[in-house]
Amino acid sequence: MLELKDVHTYYGNIHALKGISITVNDGEIVTLIGSNGAGKSTTLRTIQGLNKPRTGTIVLDGVELEKLPAHEIAGLGVAQSPEGRMIFPRMTVLENLEMGAYARKDLTTYKADMEHVFDLFPRLKERIGQKGGTLSGGEQQMLAMGRALMAKPKILLLDEPSMGLAPLLVELIFDIIKKLNEEGTTILLVEQNALMALSIASRGYVLQTGEIILSDTAENLKNNEMVQKSYLGVE
Amino acid sequence: MRHIRTGVLFGVIAGLLTFLFSGWSVAVMGLFAGVGLGLALESRLDRGSPSNLAKQVLPAALTAGAILLVLSLFQNFVVQPAIGKPSSYGNVFVPANIIGVIAIIALTMITASFRGLEEKWEKRAKMILLAVVAIAFPFIDTFTGLRWTSNVIFALIFVILGLGLNIVVGYAGLLDLGYAAFFAIGAYTTGILSSPQHNIYMNFWLVIWIAAGMAAIWGLMLGAPTLPLRGDYLAIVTLGFGEIIPVLFRNLIDVTINEPLTCWIIPGIQKMFGATSTVACINLVNHMDITAGERGINPIGRPSFFGYEFQSNNPTPWYFLIMAIILLSVFIIQRLHKSRMGRAWMAIREDELAAAQMGIDPIRTKLAAFAMGAAFSGFAGAFYAAYIRGIFPSVFDFSASIIILCVVILGGIGNINGVIVGGLVIMTADRLFLPALKDFLKGLMDFTVLPSLASNPTLQSIVAQNANPILYRFLLFGLTLVIMMAVRPEGLIPSAQMRAELHKDEEVVIDVEDNQKSKAKKG
Repeated sequence: MLELKDVHTYYGNIHALKGISITVNDGEIVTLIGSNGAGKSTTLRTIQGLNKPRTGTIVLDGVELEKLPAHEIAGLGVAQSPEGRMIFPRMTVLENLEMGAYARKDLTTYKADMEHVFDLFPRLKERIGQKGGTLSGGEQQMLAMGRALMAKPKILLLDEPSMGLAPLLVELIFDIIKKLNEEGTTILLVEQNALMALSIASRGYVLQTGEIILSDTAENLKNNEMVQKSYLGVE
Repeated sequence: MRHIRTGVLFGVIAGLLTFLFSGWSVAVMGLFAGVGLGLALESRLDRGSPSNLAKQVLPAALTAGAILLVLSLFQNFVVQPAIGKPSSYGNVFVPANIIGVIAIIALTMITASFRGLEEKWEKRAKMILLAVVAIAFPFIDTFTGLRWTSNVIFALIFVILGLGLNIVVGYAGLLDLGYAAFFAIGAYTTGILSSPQHNIYMNFWLVIWIAAGMAAIWGLMLGAPTLPLRGDYLAIVTLGFGEIIPVLFRNLIDVTINEPLTCWIIPGIQKMFGATSTVACINLVNHMDITAGERGINPIGRPSFFGYEFQSNNPTPWYFLIMAIILLSVFIIQRLHKSRMGRAWMAIREDELAAAQMGIDPIRTKLAAFAMGAAFSGFAGAFYAAYIRGIFPSVFDFSASIIILCVVILGGIGNINGVIVGGLVIMTADRLFLPALKDFLKGLMDFTVLPSLASNPTLQSIVAQNANPILYRFLLFGLTLVIMMAVRPEGLIPSAQMRAELHKDEEVVIDVEDNQKSKAKKG
């Protein structure tokens, strides 16, 4: 479904992604794990068109994304719940969710999708008229995910959904990610919490300073000695 | 208690303004202050039966009425002699005061009682009241001989400009420091197309649309290369544009355009080979005076309406024309704000990157805001040119841009009602109250202050020279800005978003349930 081939991305002179190749198949959860600065978020930003790759190709269902501007990529069915959430702070929860559906051409299931988001995140329904900026961190995370879901994406990019959340909330968020996947959403998940990510993903890639050093099924990665040492904290 | 405080505020402002105008002004002030006070109180009241609501605001209304009456009496019997004018009696003074006091009390109570109506009817009642006041105003003005209408028309021109700039600054969040340039383009388009300057006399009703279109095209032309810039950078570019346009109009007085092939290229080549030029230079434009420079373009054609030609000495038709333009603008802008494009503007203003992730094309969205905003200033420019009949480059300089921006910010950025109030307050203060204050102070100086300073001629001459508030126009303006930004940064009538932004400690909740809870707590 989504295929990155030998993608190189630069920030000015800084070579952030040094030839990344990733495949995400229909219906999978694929996770990118790695430490700070490994290039995880840059990978998602590159897919979304916020950073342009200098070389390499990104193909979604046969369409080349790498030359398209971000808003057109969104129109093709790529939605992201970005790092730092990036919700619209002065819009209400409802308006934020409505913005999520902005690029959609097919609005027949719009109401049902809104209900679905509220089923997944009942908290958002309670806060429906509140400004996004006044929500707590966890609620903002839910809003960012809900907004991405309102786009009814072919592929959902999740950037650090657990960042800064209380352990209970983290589990809730991961349950929801799993549920979304079971309902048929393809997910590319970037996460520092490697253990949680590997426990729900089918496959994973390990990123280090802009390069993929390992790729395997989630099960194998979990048992890999290097991964255990570096990312799972097993002595 | 809070109601009475507001009543005192309105009473004092209305009363002090009668100092400047005397005569019938107390009746007109009572009318405006009554509507204003009623509206200010209305939004704060809890819903209830209309008669009960009227009773609730009675103390505030009576306070305002009493203050107005006291100040008006003081004005007539103490201030008038002090500025060297006779106190008036009988035929003007008594009816004016009776009408003024009754108007402020009755209108406050009537307006406040609208709160008791159903929400839909409440809105309609307010609209009808404002419409009646707006329609009645020029006739009252003519009857009372106050002659405010022509100045109010200026304020209304700035209301349109504010509404247009509000699209750019308030909705899309793009700081435009050169907005007067589009105003100038609208005015000069009108000037060029309906004046003896080029012997073109197009119909005003056509020209106004051409002016708006022209301004929009220039908006696109400026925007296309510059809108990828953000924030401060964009502001600087618009500042530059705003400086260039008046200079351009000042200097387009001797334009000669030669066709390059026949005038330079062919003769040049022939010269290179030592031959003498054989082709005649084709002169496309020869010493053409496009804008008349500092002299300005005048007279500019006036509109006519079913055979009635608008006249300079009768402002009433102009007043209704600009009111109609404002109504049309408000209607269009409200539609735009609620449209898909309006949503996109809001998203861009909040977070451009996130908006792009939602599938919004940032450049196209910003260009649309720029072009729409410019189009409205084109309307204003066309009206201005026809109304004044003469246009000069100096009118459209940087200070005009800044005043329009202040209309938006002081009124309430992002809020149509706020911008309208902002435009009316700033421009009437500038064009109506300040000149009246000047006359008032001059009278006070000549008849009271200066004679008492006769023993000290130096001081007397200093006071006489400086007692002119027009000299302090920009000082007063700046002072107002500073105070407003310190006391009420969200503007006179803020949008919900700005209030949320600037008062983060008071969490703004629109949720119905929470609202009830908080009310229950207060109760």
